[in-house]
Amino acid sequence: AGYAETGRKLVSGAWAGEKPRKDLTGNAPEPEYRIDPATGEVILNPDQQLSYAQCIGCTTQCGVRVRIDKRTGKVLRVAGNPYSPMSTDPYLPFETSVRDSFKAMAQVGEKDGMKFRSTACGRGNAVLQQVDNPRRVLKPLKRVGPRGSGQWQTISFDQLVREVVEGGDLFGEGKVAGLREIRDLKTPIDPQAPEFGPRANRLALMNCVNDGRDGLVLRWLKQGFGSNNFVRHGSYCGGAYRSGSGAMFGDFKAMPHAKPDFAEAEFILFVGTAPGNAGNPFKRVGNLVASARADGKLKYVVVDPVLNNSQSEASGERVDWLPIRPATDGALAMALMRWMFENDRINTDYLAQPSQKAAEKAGEASWTNATHLVITEPDHPRHGHFLHASDIGLAFDGEAYGEGDPVLVAGDEGPVVPDEAPAPLFFDDVVEMPAGAVRVATSLSLLRAEALSRSMADYANITGIPEARLVALATELTAHGRKAAVNSHGGMMNGSGFYNAYALMMLNTLIGNLNLKGGTMVSGGWYPDQKGPRYDLAKFPGMVKAKGVPIGRNIPFEKTSEFKRKKAAGKPYTADGPWYPNAPGLATEWISTAVNGYPYALEALIFRNTNPVYGIPGIEHLMDRLKDPKVIPLIISIDPFINESGAIADYIVPDSVMYETWGFTQPWGGVATKATTARWPVIPSKADKTPDGQPIGLESFLIATAKAMNLPGFGDAAIPDADGKLHPLNRAEDWFLRGAANVAYVGGSPVNDASDDDIALSGVSRIVEDLKAVLTEEEWRKAATIYAKGGRYENIDKSYKGEKAAHPFKAPMFVYNETLGTFRQATTGRKMPGTPAWREPEFTNGDKVSAHYPAADWPVQVVSFKSPLQNSYSIGAPALRRIVASNPALVGTGLAAQNGLKTGDRVRLTTPGGSLETVVVVRDGVAPGVVAIMHGFGHRAFGASEIRIDDQVWEADEGIGAGVLLNDIGMLDPTRTTNPGVWVDPVSGTAVRHGLPARLTRIA
Amino acid sequence: MATNRRDFLRSIGTVTMGAAASVAGASSPARSATDTAGAAAAKGPHHGMVVDLRKCIGCQACTVACIMENDVPEGAFRTHVSVYEIVREGKDPAMAMLPRLCNHCDEPACVPVCPVGATFKQEGTGEVLVDASRCVGCGYCVQACPYDARFINEETQVADKCTFCFHRTSAGLLPACVETCVGGARNFGDLNDPDSVVSKLLAENAVAVLRPEMKTHPNVFYIGLDQALSGRVTGEAAYHPPFTQLEEENA
Repeated sequence: AGYAETGRKLVSGAWAGEKPRKDLTGNAPEPEYRIDPATGEVILNPDQQLSYAQCIGCTTQCGVRVRIDKRTGKVLRVAGNPYSPMSTDPYLPFETSVRDSFKAMAQVGEKDGMKFRSTACGRGNAVLQQVDNPRRVLKPLKRVGPRGSGQWQTISFDQLVREVVEGGDLFGEGKVAGLREIRDLKTPIDPQAPEFGPRANRLALMNCVNDGRDGLVLRWLKQGFGSNNFVRHGSYCGGAYRSGSGAMFGDFKAMPHAKPDFAEAEFILFVGTAPGNAGNPFKRVGNLVASARADGKLKYVVVDPVLNNSQSEASGERVDWLPIRPATDGALAMALMRWMFENDRINTDYLAQPSQKAAEKAGEASWTNATHLVITEPDHPRHGHFLHASDIGLAFDGEAYGEGDPVLVAGDEGPVVPDEAPAPLFFDDVVEMPAGAVRVATSLSLLRAEALSRSMADYANITGIPEARLVALATELTAHGRKAAVNSHGGMMNGSGFYNAYALMMLNTLIGNLNLKGGTMVSGGWYPDQKGPRYDLAKFPGMVKAKGVPIGRNIPFEKTSEFKRKKAAGKPYTADGPWYPNAPGLATEWISTAVNGYPYALEALIFRNTNPVYGIPGIEHLMDRLKDPKVIPLIISIDPFINESGAIADYIVPDSVMYETWGFTQPWGGVATKATTARWPVIPSKADKTPDGQPIGLESFLIATAKAMNLPGFGDAAIPDADGKLHPLNRAEDWFLRGAANVAYVGGSPVNDASDDDIALSGVSRIVEDLKAVLTEEEWRKAATIYAKGGRYENIDKSYKGEKAAHPFKAPMFVYNETLGTFRQATTGRKMPGTPAWREPEFTNGDKVSAHYPAADWPVQVVSFKSPLQNSYSIGAPALRRIVASNPALVGTGLAAQNGLKTGDRVRLTTPGGSLETVVVVRDGVAPGVVAIMHGFGHRAFGASEIRIDDQVWEADEGIGAGVLLNDIGMLDPTRTTNPGVWVDPVSGTAVRHGLPARLTRIA
Repeated sequence: MATNRRDFLRSIGTVTMGAAASVAGASSPARSATDTAGAAAAKGPHHGMVVDLRKCIGCQACTVACIMENDVPEGAFRTHVSVYEIVREGKDPAMAMLPRLCNHCDEPACVPVCPVGATFKQEGTGEVLVDASRCVGCGYCVQACPYDARFINEETQVADKCTFCFHRTSAGLLPACVETCVGGARNFGDLNDPDSVVSKLLAENAVAVLRPEMKTHPNVFYIGLDQALSGRVTGEAAYHPPFTQLEEENA
């Protein structure tokens, strides 16, 4: 700049620029409230509204406080809700008045206001910019020209509803069936395969995450329309971890998972998850871990190919980082198990309890099937199943293998029915059965055999972690009794992620830490909105029961007509594609189904605030078919923005954004108490209105289309109350306010009435007339409390009962999982272990990935990681891009030296799935041979590419398109030749984005 | 892409550690707790911040909250968190977060260089503030600040910086960065009150300030500050690079 500029300003006077609002504090707005210095009382700012609502900047869905300029309706800033455990710890007792909550957060509050300081994260602070994002769609759009060409026209809401319901020659490309025609509940999709269900299943709806609006979506789709095809994003997010955890918790559909008790644990091993760097609940974990490592007793190790913010130099010896070769976490877990078995460091007292009653008698907080006997005789028809009383002629009730036919444990003279005493942990021998001698083993014997199948030196070679460190880790993990825990998550999205996750989680069971203070705990539950004492939002007269094979193929192949035909032909396990009975709905596999029509083709697909086209590694190879209107004739995107998936849609239904929307959510985990977060429109939606005055968005679209098709469960008589009297469902308020009444009343005693002061201070006055109109005189003030406090939260002193979790997980832990151990892969007939095991990454036909792509040719492995700031849909917030503008690839010093790379160099990264070019940053904190790419950049939509709407051109913004997307070099499974699909884990069907084989070349 | 790369290269900069900064005199809580206590007690509160680096998770909530609260123009920051990878011979690499802001010094280098008296030290509470109605945007203070905590606001064309959210603290509220600090690293309060959270933190922990050799007597203190980071304050205020590798020479 130099001094010439200075001189000019001195000459021209003070105001060379725009005058700020205040001389000393610039453009900062007036505070939302003040504390009277004399009395300590709260003095409101009449020009601002401060409301407790909810963020949806990520899947954590924290309770937040939204500060609004009443005159302009603009959201000024967002911070935390002090009642919410997702934003505050400790959190305020629920009975605290709204006025006192304001005081608690001011300097007059405890610890100078910092005890109940309630936070929003970096992203949570920034995403208010999405409300006013100039790329936001406010009117319904219809494509002009080919799919994906970025040419749109605005249409009226009525036209939108009419066209998607009635169909016709909508695009000048021939007839498209409308939703009314597709909703055929009688005609089977395929008379040769009646299990597929009716034609209505050929409408499928992809969701992102349950943001508290899924209840209405499912009512429309399943109970109204009658389609059984609904899925969320888990299979390309953290699904492998959840499936592995689900194996241990004995539920492959709900996939329960526990979190460490961060505040009370003495040692935590984090593998493929990064506390305080990313994850869910992001802030809560970050806050608890930061506090525990500084003020508490926590020591932890983060095992990950990339060093990230979860490590803390300032915390010294409390925190360690341990690099690992990608996708080998299962070998790490099995190494620790091996050492634990060999050094008597498993919790035998805990594992020996064969039943709930035995565990209770022994004072245990949970129990396992470690002692249960499994038939291991290879050719036995019950191979892989548990040994039941009926198998050896012992007495049982009811049907064989039913509830009255107990699983047996080892006894002194053969297998016995377990009583309330401990049972033998290890047994592996033949037992006499009526048809002869049969080999059986306890679950724990099978696990031990897996762990001992490789030496510590093998495990060290596989993981790249020296044997001494493996031993040190095992020693540390088992040196704290039950006040230690293992935790994982998104890092399991690799080619053996399911078994890796199952193995890691099993370490918790071998310690015996479930349901214990300082150990691991499941979510404390919530106050549900749909099934409650006031209104039944879950059921209604005339509801349809959706049925048929879901297109994720997540049912046993043996239940299909294809299997029966092939079995009759003598080739039972030669399915035309993989099936995943041990998995939930799989968005990853939906894409394969959608483009191949296996098991059946779709006629219409709805994206609901979701973005599989950005999120699924390798999907690029299937895009030509996905975009082809002959393959899927109708695609609708319900979203406030045009993301990469919406970009290939035929219609965009503009949705409301975060603080404009309704919903009830519960924490995924990490909160020991019951918690329901309420979201409500603290500002009006900016979207256009329907003819009857509703904001255009998800709810108004579902209701209008439901009415057009006469779907049951909508209209004037739709929602039963406790007496069976039917109430209307004509607008969002009809649904959500009744949900609020349920939240307020459920769980024994209802919440207190909101006072006039609570209502005024929280801005709930905005919706008081609606509350009064929809609810009864008795209900409305209680429902108002739910909105005034941003949800309903059980007090923190209800976290524990003594040393145990107050809301424990009650079913047993599966050391051996029977449905896993008896599952046969549909394409090969192979069986897999029923316990945790180390499995090298593989493809669908069982080939090792390394056999197709040997390290000699593909010496590098690519991994993905998350940042604290950017996710797949936050790129539109400029404040985030100001902090981190792009995502150069991270390369370790060793790999950099081999390739002659220095920070700032440009490289080409090539996998079997494609290649990309990017800039590198050379760091020490990257495992050898690894290239790491941060998620959240490399967008092609959201504004990254130019689009045209009517006569308006929305120019491309380079900042939105900055950086690269790892998923662009994701891979197809080369062994899926019949019906192509992306590379997924063979059990959980989840996407692979860690450990992609690759080559790195410097670009001169 | 070319633009991204240029931006990226500019942002990474080249940062080489000079002689290890001495922290002598800074690790003692005595200065604030006692030196100023007697004189200032009569004047009421004296505002300061204690940042516990063990609790910083580098989430940048403070950075964004400050942007939102103070309408900080594009490309500038009043506070942000620098993230470093610390590499030491024979040790595993480690991550260090350093939240940075105006230190609201008791001997501010920016005040005496202001030709028009626009920059001043607030009586009593002690914030270093800029009176925009007097500032001529000459930038002398920007150059004088040893902490690179100031910038010329491109919209107003006057010197801009952290005010400790003077408008909020005057209303009895906390600064935006403090109330949204996820890890609980940032603590704010009255250094004159021995019972305040900040005074207790100073009394109970070893603390350090940035660049103590400048004798500016900052009112922002750090728990767990690596000596290698003590002088690492210049040239980066306007950007948080993805990671800045530290080549340590004299640690």
